[in-house]
Amino acid sequence: MTATPVVRAVNLVKIYQSGRGLPVPAVRGVDLTVEPGEFVAIMGPSGSGKSTLIHLLGGLDTRTSGEIWLDGQRADTLSESGWAVLRREKVGFVFQFFNLVANMTVADNVELPALLAGASPRHARERREYLLGALGLTDRAAAAPAQLSGGEQQRVALARALANQPRLLLADEPTGNLDSRNTRDVLRLLGEVHRQGQTIVLVTHDARVAGLADRVVCLLDGQIVDDGAIVKRRRRPGGTAGDVVELHGR
Amino acid sequence: MIAGNGPEGRWIRADLRARRGQALLTVLTVAGIVTALITAATLLEDGTNPWRGLFERSRGAHIWLHTKTVPDVSALKDLDGVTDVAGPYRSAPATLVDPPIGAAIDQGRRVPISLREAPAALPAVARPLLREGRWLDVRRPEGVVVERSFARALGLRPGSPFTVTGLNGATHTLTVAGLAESGDQGFYPEWTPGLAWTLGQTLRTVEPALGRTETVTGLRLADPGLTDLIVQRAVSTLRGQVQRVTTWREIRAAMELDNRLLGTLLGLFGVVGLIAAALALANVTGGRILTQLRDIATLKSLGFTRGQISRMLLVEHGALGLAGIVLGVVAARLITAYALGEAVAAPLSPEPHIAITVGTAVVVLVAIWLPAWRGGRTPPLPATPAAPPHGRLSRLARLALLVRLPPALVLGARDAFTRRMLALLTICGVAIPMMMITIGLGCWATLDDFIRHPERVGQAAALAVRPGNLTAEETRDWAMADPDVVVAYPGAELDALVPGQTRTVRTRALGTSADPYPFPVVEGRMFRERGEAVAGQGLLDLLGARIGDRVRITIGGTPLIVQIVGRVIEPEQDGEVLSLGIDSLAAKDAVPPRFYSLVLRPGADPAEVRARLQARGLEVAQAVNPADRLAIIRVIIVALVVVLALIGLANLLTASALGRRDHVLDLAVLKAMGLTPRQVMATLVTGTGLLAVAGVLLGTCAGALWSRGLIDMEGRYSGVGVGIGRAPTPGMLAAAILIAIGAALLVALIPARRVSRARVTMVAH
Repeated sequence: MTATPVVRAVNLVKIYQSGRGLPVPAVRGVDLTVEPGEFVAIMGPSGSGKSTLIHLLGGLDTRTSGEIWLDGQRADTLSESGWAVLRREKVGFVFQFFNLVANMTVADNVELPALLAGASPRHARERREYLLGALGLTDRAAAAPAQLSGGEQQRVALARALANQPRLLLADEPTGNLDSRNTRDVLRLLGEVHRQGQTIVLVTHDARVAGLADRVVCLLDGQIVDDGAIVKRRRRPGGTAGDVVELHGR
Repeated sequence: MIAGNGPEGRWIRADLRARRGQALLTVLTVAGIVTALITAATLLEDGTNPWRGLFERSRGAHIWLHTKTVPDVSALKDLDGVTDVAGPYRSAPATLVDPPIGAAIDQGRRVPISLREAPAALPAVARPLLREGRWLDVRRPEGVVVERSFARALGLRPGSPFTVTGLNGATHTLTVAGLAESGDQGFYPEWTPGLAWTLGQTLRTVEPALGRTETVTGLRLADPGLTDLIVQRAVSTLRGQVQRVTTWREIRAAMELDNRLLGTLLGLFGVVGLIAAALALANVTGGRILTQLRDIATLKSLGFTRGQISRMLLVEHGALGLAGIVLGVVAARLITAYALGEAVAAPLSPEPHIAITVGTAVVVLVAIWLPAWRGGRTPPLPATPAAPPHGRLSRLARLALLVRLPPALVLGARDAFTRRMLALLTICGVAIPMMMITIGLGCWATLDDFIRHPERVGQAAALAVRPGNLTAEETRDWAMADPDVVVAYPGAELDALVPGQTRTVRTRALGTSADPYPFPVVEGRMFRERGEAVAGQGLLDLLGARIGDRVRITIGGTPLIVQIVGRVIEPEQDGEVLSLGIDSLAAKDAVPPRFYSLVLRPGADPAEVRARLQARGLEVAQAVNPADRLAIIRVIIVALVVVLALIGLANLLTASALGRRDHVLDLAVLKAMGLTPRQVMATLVTGTGLLAVAGVLLGTCAGALWSRGLIDMEGRYSGVGVGIGRAPTPGMLAAAILIAIGAALLVALIPARRVSRARVTMVAH
């Protein structure tokens, strides 16, 4: 493929300092390349470093060593502000606990990234109307996040993440806090945006969620232990290594 | 800049909408402080410099020209810089035959007065300010309006008879129609003769001879700074007609009080108020930002930079502070104009006004800068929980556990100190206002002490009698004949030249070296021999002298060398007074004594004695207690105590809100473990209450320890001298502590009650 990869991580390492000063490696030399339009699921048991990895890719946390390239641009050397500016334009985040700004209405939450990226208030409003319409939330625009159900909150969060048409959508356990019906809704939406060409990297430990992806990367103790494409609709009876890890993790 | 509709503007607006109450409280706190400071400064300025207010209100004339004949008014009006002319009015000297107060007329006192013509319609320039009664009326030509300070000194009221004798000896019985204030001349008795306004026709009846009257003409200037120049021009324009000129500077100087003590006290309070404001703001802002860390992290994950977040917080909280300042300035304006309209004549002059406004603005910005900066440094990981960092039991809690206190207390004690920094801020947030309140109470106690023990501030003698038209011996005998008079000390007050100074200092000779007046000596000893003297701190500072030094002064051309053997508390003349025995003076200055200072029997009412002595024709002056002059300080103390108390409570509210937020999860667990709502409430109240109690006790101790020293320091710098400071009385302290703790617990109780009653469900974040 000649297109620039959306994400390229080279030998990425993250080591935390524990309370007693002992180094705790969370990510240990991960190499990962995500091509445009790809939908990658990162799986692994609790503590395998998946959330840390996705935070590193979005610049929410700083790497200890290694390289991160976003859309052909070296990103790991950026300052915190540099990362912030990069995120505005190129990265959308969806979190497990939705993380809507509590004080702001749904409409304000969704408009915020567009405004941040320099869009005019009118353009931001149009974009918000379109997104909320597409996600079936038009009538909740004036509501406060606390008035919404979990599924609705996550849909708003998704709308917010997509507000700037980011090159990369990072989702950290987006269904981890939802019931099965809402999980289905959110996954359907993720599938739709993916079909429209959105590059997605998603962290989950739910095999059904991972099943939606083109490719599953399995992490164990901060290292990639398996990385393979999923053959849609015809999964081998034995399952992927991810399923095995999943079993181990449980 | 932050655009109103940009992402930062949106967030600020949303945040303000979400916490209207708290935002309002912040605005009101700052507004309260600014209002208190400006009002206090205005009262102070007005109290110590009444001239300014009177002058403003009466549209006074800056220059008064006294001429023999009517001057050329149009020439004066044409002078460059003169905006208006008052008069010309005729003015005549006369004598008021003063009927002694309340007694049969056996010996009337004769007081020189100055009668001044005034129109029946109040003039536009140099308009006397009618305070009581009516203004002059052509239908009642016998009516006079008397200048208020003069009327007070003589006990005149509207309706009192006003019998004057003209220079030709004819007596006319007039009536006091009203009392008025004016910025045209100083207060009686500092400025003599006393002033009374009459109609022109009445004046002509009293003093028909034109040659014995003079004409006064007032000039109002565009720029008071040009007074001297315009005086010269006016004098040259009128070519020799001018006999005498008074300017606003002399009048102002005559009206001004020695205000160094007041000024320094107010300065202290101002600084205190600002520190308290800074603390309150830092606490509120810091607390608010702590509760928002999660949202801030989310914003950063969306692409807000560190600078944007800091700027946003700074703008939001700064805007609240600045709104408070604006509101405070407006409120102070309204209060001084309407609520205190009677007491305050003019708004604060621009310099202190600007100083207070800018000072508060700087304090506001500094106070919120740190929390805003820290907010900006929040890591962008929204998952970071804003939970307390340590969960282990504090030493205090362990101690509570050891002595088997109820579980709610133990848990509360644990909660209190889980966030060390915040606990410290809260304690300081309560302790500093409390310390200031205690210092305020110390000032109050000091003032009370002035009143209760005037002898400790050099006012053992409540009255001073002047011989008037009696001989000194007679005066002394008459005074001593009064049953309430215990001792009469002969005295004289003279101006002395001291080396190295161009101006004179007050020399007060009182009592003799063998039988000295009981000066409050706080350092060294009382004078015992001729040639020894005691001095106030102000004089020691002025001369750079110390106790034991000899100084050479010149009184009326006679040199006098005295040794300063002690330091006294000296509330007069900024402490620049030398006190000695009357026998130390040269005979020409000492004999006969100019006055006698009368020490009264304990419990005697000085006003009564004064009335009795006046009835016998003696000229009696009553000593003004410094506490009466400092009475305005009490208003300021009360206002500041209220503001400080509000600040302390606001700090506590923040602390208890944070405590609640930190323990929402714990509360669910506690309830699950079987704690009753009452126990949960007790836990929460203990958490905040412990910090409050610690703060209150700490603040009170610090305040009680420092107040005396601080007031003494004030005394030192104001020239009165060290030794006036009193700590608040134990009763006062106990009441303050109890009220403060009670209020603190109440503040902690209200939200705790709500939380403990609410159904707390487990929330997943």
